[in-house]
Amino acid sequence: MNEKILDEIPYIVTPRKDTGLTNSKIGIWLFLASEVMLFGGLFSGYIFLRVYADYPWPERVLPIVPGLLNTFILILSSVTVVFAWAMLKLRKWNMFLLFMGTTIACAAIFMAFKVVEYKAKFSHQGVRLEDYTILEGHVHKGAVDSQGHIYHLDDNGNPAKHHADENHSKSEKGGAEGKMVYQKTSIDQIVFDTKDISFDLKMFNDGYVNDLLTQAESLRAQITFDKDIKYTTSPDSLPIVVAKAGEPVTLKALKEAKALWKKTIANNGAVRTEELRRQWRVAKHDNPDAPNWQNAQNIKMDMDAIRPNLVASKSVVTAKVEPHVAFLLDPKTTNASAKSAKRKDSTLMSGNLIDSSMELGIDGVDFTFLVQRAEEKGIDPESAIEKSWILKNNPQVRAYWEKHKEYIAELDKKLLDDADGDIIKAEKAHHLERYKMTWKEMVRYGSEGETDLQWFNGFAGPNHKKEEWAKHFPDVSLPREQIAFESKFTPRWNNYYAIYFTITGLHGLHIIGGAIVLGYYMFCPNMFRKNPDWLANRVEVAGLFWHFVDLVWIFLFPILYLM
Amino acid sequence: MAGDSPAEIKKALKFYGLIGAILFIGTITTVAVAVVPWMDVGARGFSTGDLILGLLIASVKASLVMYIFMHLNHEKKLIYLFYGMAGFFALCLFFITRMAFEDPIHYSGFGHGEPVIEEKVEKH
Repeated sequence: MNEKILDEIPYIVTPRKDTGLTNSKIGIWLFLASEVMLFGGLFSGYIFLRVYADYPWPERVLPIVPGLLNTFILILSSVTVVFAWAMLKLRKWNMFLLFMGTTIACAAIFMAFKVVEYKAKFSHQGVRLEDYTILEGHVHKGAVDSQGHIYHLDDNGNPAKHHADENHSKSEKGGAEGKMVYQKTSIDQIVFDTKDISFDLKMFNDGYVNDLLTQAESLRAQITFDKDIKYTTSPDSLPIVVAKAGEPVTLKALKEAKALWKKTIANNGAVRTEELRRQWRVAKHDNPDAPNWQNAQNIKMDMDAIRPNLVASKSVVTAKVEPHVAFLLDPKTTNASAKSAKRKDSTLMSGNLIDSSMELGIDGVDFTFLVQRAEEKGIDPESAIEKSWILKNNPQVRAYWEKHKEYIAELDKKLLDDADGDIIKAEKAHHLERYKMTWKEMVRYGSEGETDLQWFNGFAGPNHKKEEWAKHFPDVSLPREQIAFESKFTPRWNNYYAIYFTITGLHGLHIIGGAIVLGYYMFCPNMFRKNPDWLANRVEVAGLFWHFVDLVWIFLFPILYLM
Repeated sequence: MAGDSPAEIKKALKFYGLIGAILFIGTITTVAVAVVPWMDVGARGFSTGDLILGLLIASVKASLVMYIFMHLNHEKKLIYLFYGMAGFFALCLFFITRMAFEDPIHYSGFGHGEPVIEEKVEKH
């Protein structure tokens, strides 16, 4: 079979006379040339985003250890893949399996580290406050009862400690643990006590509607239509009733209402179009020689004439929530004010906004953006930091910041001493260390210097499950009005993470693809017996791709992790 | 490959191992320059010096991978032509960013209003 294929595919073992190369090698090099341009474009994008960033570009924010280990792993795999190829040339099948198996194992470990790294980013919260302070940390889990009161969870995962209202009575606290109905959630939700809801038939989203219906059900409330939902789709037809006032809102009912509403739109559109056409015919008849643009100016819709043929076309359906309860709304999809909340699908909720603060365990405070904005306005950065919301409202962060200032002052002094007191030659602390407190510094300040973490501590970043570290992370309750922007450390957070995930994600796909192709050759013993040179050539070609993947990472690692 | 005889391949294996070791050392050097204070070059923290040195080490490592592992040192001129063209076009992509300067649309900054379109004002 293989020999037959060899007859059909020329120059895959012996080189062509004109090029001096096998076709497969020319093919892979052409493919790699396209890959150079693909990654070249992405690197170009990275440079563009970094050079023109109008905010402090994140530097050395990724954990170095997994990146370093992955670099070692890829280098090792580059060596083993070339060894595997050599073993085929030496006709040692078992040794080929050993080295190729090591290469595949390296690919698996590389991807495993990537998963750990990505997972840490996806669970890490970033918040930009209105004053441009950036906080990093983890959002606490909690529970919210039907009245919108927030509870922390105890060790067993049950709501235990009342947070939102310190004056809440003990009996109510007990109620939360037992009788009260609550929803468990990350304490980063807009809590809105809702009385009325308006669904927009043009825009409503199935997922959002289902979310509201599910929440109402779990809170033992009901969302019901407050008026009959009926449509007359044409002047001659009878009204069709979708639901009567007091009947529960369902997705099915909303979809039926939407379908009927579309028919009313279609009817009214057709009536208007027909009227316009009629007018156009009249205008052309009256002024056959006038240009179209002139006739068009004389056309006016005769509303009195068409009104009898139009039908009511209301796109908003209103509903009541009985009894009124507190819904949890995702801040990313909801715009809330004191008395109303509007979701992305234009569903409008009226009622009262309840304390919707975010409960954050802080593991990083970054004032660099605040400083940049202050300098742009000609304000002294230090005084701008002193006036920041977080320093005014969180004593623990304030205490850490005081220690940080002492640390920076010592560092400046040491740098001055190193320069023998020559203030011109002396360097100053880097702006990133001056205006930013990392989680490692927080642990050091919190432990009074007893725990001094190095660059290699914390495999994928701050670990909030490690009590030894987590006890030093300050908790803060961030009022919703202080939050300008929030996101996990995903592409949404900033352009750095957008390009980081794009390039490393694409690179990861190359790793998976390359590993599948290389791994396939381990299951080709027949080819090895019949035509080992052909198999060696295939491994060499796939190996070229593998080395290219390594080559890309050689640049990615310093650029993304170290610079 | 220089040659396909078993002796030559066995000899090459040691060389590949050596290149692998150099790549390891290069990686450690890159990290050390970034995180070890006394090895920091240029200004304190990340600076242009770090950028140049980091990319220089990466370029040396990449060259070793290309020339030794990918056998570019023994390849035909045609491969160099492919690679040269790809490099040239990739370089062109880098210069596309420069064209952003020539774009008449400028953003006045994050959170600071709408895009501003520059208008040419003729002087009288």
